[in-house]
Amino acid sequence: MRLSTVSFRYTRRGPWILRDVDLDVQPGEVLEVTGRNGAGKSTFLRLLAGVLRPTAGSITGRPARVGYAPETFPAGQPFTAAAYLAAMARVRGVSGHGDLADRLGLTPLLDRPLGELSKGSAHKVGLVQALLGPAEDRLLILDEPFAGLDERARGELAMIVAEVAAAGGVVVVSDHQGDLREVTARRTLTVADTMVTAGAAGEPEEPLAVVEVVAAASAAAGLAARLRADGHQVRVRPATAALPEAAETKEGPRV
Amino acid sequence: MTVALIRFKLAAYTRSHRLLQPLFVLVLMLMIFYAVRAPADDAAGSYANSAGLLIVVFAWAARGLLDTEPDAQRVVSMAAAGGPRREITAGLGACAAVNTGLAALAVVVPLLIGFQGVPPAAMIAQGVLLHLLAVATGIALGALSSRPIMPSPAASMPALFGGFAALLLVSYTPVGAVLIPIMRWMRAANDGTLGADLPLLALPTLLWSAAGLVAYALLRRTRP
Repeated sequence: MRLSTVSFRYTRRGPWILRDVDLDVQPGEVLEVTGRNGAGKSTFLRLLAGVLRPTAGSITGRPARVGYAPETFPAGQPFTAAAYLAAMARVRGVSGHGDLADRLGLTPLLDRPLGELSKGSAHKVGLVQALLGPAEDRLLILDEPFAGLDERARGELAMIVAEVAAAGGVVVVSDHQGDLREVTARRTLTVADTMVTAGAAGEPEEPLAVVEVVAAASAAAGLAARLRADGHQVRVRPATAALPEAAETKEGPRV
Repeated sequence: MTVALIRFKLAAYTRSHRLLQPLFVLVLMLMIFYAVRAPADDAAGSYANSAGLLIVVFAWAARGLLDTEPDAQRVVSMAAAGGPRREITAGLGACAAVNTGLAALAVVVPLLIGFQGVPPAAMIAQGVLLHLLAVATGIALGALSSRPIMPSPAASMPALFGGFAALLLVSYTPVGAVLIPIMRWMRAANDGTLGADLPLLALPTLLWSAAGLVAYALLRRTRP
């Protein structure tokens, strides 16, 4: 995906929000967008999402599937969480929401009307709808996604971001909380004074991989702690089925 | 995807009960129009009056539908549906669906209880066409006064009702022939020349309605 001299302003005589932004984004990249309030982060994210068209310049090579989770989920809608997610899945032409609701701890609340959910739970609905569908050829845009999430969901979301990137998707996250610090291969972009500048990179050239480990339940906590100590992101969940026999004998990294 | 988004918008609109407001006004207006049963051979005149005055109801319904969703949901829907164009098309498609239903009521109810007999088929067809023209005009007016274009209700409500009043008044003047010729619909129907005049009356109506919708789509480019 490439941004070529992208400029944007809301009205013909209004102030420029962004000017001459050039950016190349590779599949599998995680971009962390920072900047003070009102600097134009949300406008930048909406341009990337294709919701706004540049006033000048062009954005090419945008992935086919775009997921956008707003900073504040619009909970004032007359649907239950399940009905809303089903409708958004139909709009995307996919069926169901896989294990996303489970992973973010939303499953017990699916039957609740959106308006009755807490802010954090409603925010999870916004995240799940953005994540619907296959991870490949995906542009995932998350505006302040960690705000208001419980600790478990924050860890899970960081994992999901890493998984989308590992599958070749592009993830753009506006983040004040620093929850992405553990995600390697991320690039920091700073929006300020109509410019978008690349900041310190994590390890930009390092690709991500997901390693699945099946262990005895009693050993899981200790194993997870050791892996976390080594700087990896770890998620522990009950094994639904044993890994296929064939996978264990393959040369690939699936253990 | 666009069809799924139309269904989503219609579901949100009906569940929000916003449809009841224009529906009640429509029923009230029909009760006034047909308080005295019209002669069957004067059906075209009654239909023309009904279509001309119901533009404001169609505009109100369109504005209500487009304003049902929270602003952030439109952005979410644009991403999910694959671009702003689909979201805008779905919004207007949902308006067309609702207003076609309201227009069907305005055509069918008088056939059941509003006329003294069964009008000639040609007059019923003219009634259908006039109400469809009113739907097109109403959707354009409603879209241009919807929240993305006019965020303040203090501006959008006067714009909707004032816009309709202006359309009606201007249609009395000679300029009205090339704008939305609402008064000319009514006169032609009462004079019995509607059949011959309809193409000339429909053309400016459709062109201006299309221009209004194009303006709406262009304005939405910076107002997601």
